[in-house]
Amino acid sequence: MSVETKAAPLVWPEEEDPREEHLLLDPRPRAELNQIVLDAMHRTGFGFWAAVTVLSLLVLIGLGGAWGYQIYKGMGVAGIRRPVYWGVYITNFVFWIGISHSGTFVSAILRVFKAEFRRPITRGSEMMTAFALVVAGMYPLIHLGRTWRFYWMVPYPNQRQLWPNFHSPLMWDMLAIFTYVIGSTLYLYLPLIPDVAMARDHSTGWRHKLYRILALGWRGTEAEWHHLKTAITIFAFAIIPVMFSVHTIVSWDFGMTMKVGWHSSIFGPYFVTGAIFSGVSAVATVLLIVRKTMKLEYFLRPEHFDAIGKLILIFSFAWTYFFFSDYLTEWYGGEAVGKELITFQAHGPVAPLWYLMLIMNIAIPWLTLWNRRVRRSTWWLFLVTIGVNIGMYIERYIIVTGFLQRNRLPFDWGVYNPSLVEVLISIGSLSLFMLLYVVASRFIPLVPVWEVQEGQITHSLRRIGRALVPSVAELE
Amino acid sequence: MNDTTVLMALVDDLAPVPDMLDTLRENGIGDGDIAILSGVPYPERVLGRPMNWERLPLISASGALVGFLTSMFLNAGTPMLYSIYVGGQPLIPLPPTAVLTFELTMMGLLVSTFLGVLWESTFPTFGPKYYDPRITDGEIGIVFRCPAHQTGEMGTALMAQGAQEVTEPEEHVL
Amino acid sequence: MTETTHRWTMAIDLDRCTGCQACVVACHAENNVPVVGEDEVRMGRAMHWLHIERYWVGEYPNIQARFIPMMCQQCENAPCEPVCPVFATYHSQVEDLNIQVYNRCIGTRYCANNCPYIARTFNWFNPEFPEPLNEQLNPDVTVRKRGIMEKCTFCIQRIHDAEHVAEIEGRPVQDGDVQPACAQSCPTNAIVFGDLNDPNSRISQLAGSRRSSRLLEELGTEPSVIYLSGGDAHVS
Repeated sequence: MSVETKAAPLVWPEEEDPREEHLLLDPRPRAELNQIVLDAMHRTGFGFWAAVTVLSLLVLIGLGGAWGYQIYKGMGVAGIRRPVYWGVYITNFVFWIGISHSGTFVSAILRVFKAEFRRPITRGSEMMTAFALVVAGMYPLIHLGRTWRFYWMVPYPNQRQLWPNFHSPLMWDMLAIFTYVIGSTLYLYLPLIPDVAMARDHSTGWRHKLYRILALGWRGTEAEWHHLKTAITIFAFAIIPVMFSVHTIVSWDFGMTMKVGWHSSIFGPYFVTGAIFSGVSAVATVLLIVRKTMKLEYFLRPEHFDAIGKLILIFSFAWTYFFFSDYLTEWYGGEAVGKELITFQAHGPVAPLWYLMLIMNIAIPWLTLWNRRVRRSTWWLFLVTIGVNIGMYIERYIIVTGFLQRNRLPFDWGVYNPSLVEVLISIGSLSLFMLLYVVASRFIPLVPVWEVQEGQITHSLRRIGRALVPSVAELE
Repeated sequence: MNDTTVLMALVDDLAPVPDMLDTLRENGIGDGDIAILSGVPYPERVLGRPMNWERLPLISASGALVGFLTSMFLNAGTPMLYSIYVGGQPLIPLPPTAVLTFELTMMGLLVSTFLGVLWESTFPTFGPKYYDPRITDGEIGIVFRCPAHQTGEMGTALMAQGAQEVTEPEEHVL
Repeated sequence: MTETTHRWTMAIDLDRCTGCQACVVACHAENNVPVVGEDEVRMGRAMHWLHIERYWVGEYPNIQARFIPMMCQQCENAPCEPVCPVFATYHSQVEDLNIQVYNRCIGTRYCANNCPYIARTFNWFNPEFPEPLNEQLNPDVTVRKRGIMEKCTFCIQRIHDAEHVAEIEGRPVQDGDVQPACAQSCPTNAIVFGDLNDPNSRISQLAGSRRSSRLLEELGTEPSVIYLSGGDAHVS
């Protein structure tokens, strides 16, 4: 037997400089790192002010005008009607809760698993979590028939001598979101303290006053670092189950009902996966914009978007798996309403949306994200991730408003179309999220400088054989 | 020991810091009189310093317990205060109780961890403290208290080991 | 008040129902249910606590219209109750009925979504009672504002009234003392209301009929409305 090798041309691998590729192998003096982040915060050109003006206007129209009108006139100005009692507001609520899973996933799960690429992107995604929760938290209020009585859901001793009903998934939901808001805000704040201390040391005037207060008197003593690191570790481990519980409970708002299509035990993990899928996509979208507009190319490199792109692909697989399980069960079960729901999605009024969802959530990510070039290209990744979030929005829209249109008794079938008020409020809330992010990005150091430097200290290049190989040391 | 001075050595590299600490110890300055300020977290064993006793997990656990007890009150206490029956379910149904218990326990844990950090680090305190803004630019500061007569000697020794400067630090209003 | 010994139940004879909607009108009048106008009805915002569901049976030309008067089924295990975060709907131990407390309602509309009979209605706007409807508002029933859920109460005000009269006269409530507005107005006497715990009541007789069934019984909601149907309009 002869060993024959096809005469392929021998190519030596090009010696790539790992320093260009990896942020953590490309250390720069701390003062320089600080300066990049500080410059980004002071970048308030025409684009910034234009964005702030337009977004403020949209917020005013949507949340001031449209919501105010709805409170004054009644819920009838929305498009909801019997039997579709929940509409776009609940869809938006689920969507924004989903977006809020981004930060926690990136900074808690990746921290626990010591995924080093997380370091420069944690802050940006944690901020998304906090602001997405602000927007999400508004929606139950917008959705209430009597918004001005929302505090009746809060458990406190009152003159009505009445406590809330803890049997209700809405109560679980409220407490879970409350926990998550508090948890993720503190989790955003804790690692921020050393960075605002840095900003304090390099600022004057009102900024200095602001950072002084936010830095709480941070000096960077061993004890301070020690407590901070311990707390971050506790938070990272504790907030992961909270994150899972939040979207699980959101799904239980539907799962606990007797409605066919909603009453499904797979809804918990299905929704959590979808939330992370859309959340991580949104992280990519936002960070791509941030990198371009705030000149953070040093910190946010193709390697990071490459890694995020892989995560998105994996969660696209996982989402498809849960989607299919849910679909197949309904299809095979053969209950009349279930069958009707399947028909409703594939041939009914929502069919165009339903197919668009399959394209955005499955076809496009699967066809593109396996490709390293796509994951590293700004425009491609931007479009794919926007598409994923359009697809995920449609998924929630169909589950919330679509499934309500088909009921056990055919007399109770209905239709739903969002009204202008609902559309304006939705645009207003999206604008609020963007406005909060744009404004906060000029106040909050968008990259955790100390975490990046910590990473650069522990990373080095080792020569193994002919190659220079990145290696990681562990400080703790 | 009334006659003491506080000195701060600024170093731009971690490597000589443990040796400098040894120098200080050899001259009778204990670990209690030394503090290290840095812009990046260095664990104690990297610096060759004794471990801090950590009370934070204990505080977190107590917070979780408070959250757990609160959830018990809301789950089991409030239905007793004003009983309302719904949907053929028992007054205190177990499965929903578990959901609430989990959430409130975690809330207690997270909030108390945060408060624990503030308490343990005595935050916020803006009062004058030994500090140098160059710390957040990557310098490592060794703040120590030594007898006044040793000031010059210590300064020279640390400079010889690689310190940028050894000065009597200003007290900054942070 | 003590716990009730009554088990209020309604029987509707589908073989007698002609779909005339007299019960719907009577319900509106008795319970101050607002009339919302054509446009809103077309949107699906009719406020009927009781509505007539019409189904076609058979294929043209051998086609038959069958009607199901539908209202809150007063379930023993009502799915609408546990999901309300503020106890606006709950199971009363006094009347053994599913109660809606308007003043507690904050309008999450969760109960309406979880009702398999879609029997609940929502106040999309503030109610309007244009002349001369405002002259006939029932003083025994509150008028609800916008943002509040409501539903059939089994004319609970009439139940209480009958109980008070019986108490004054020093006798127990007898069969026929309580008649909800829909039953009272039904020209074919298709609706019968009474106490299932009284073995001699008409409702108890009907409940034992081989024509009796409950709607979506398989869900385990244990409704308090019995439908009587022979499956053919000529059976009585």
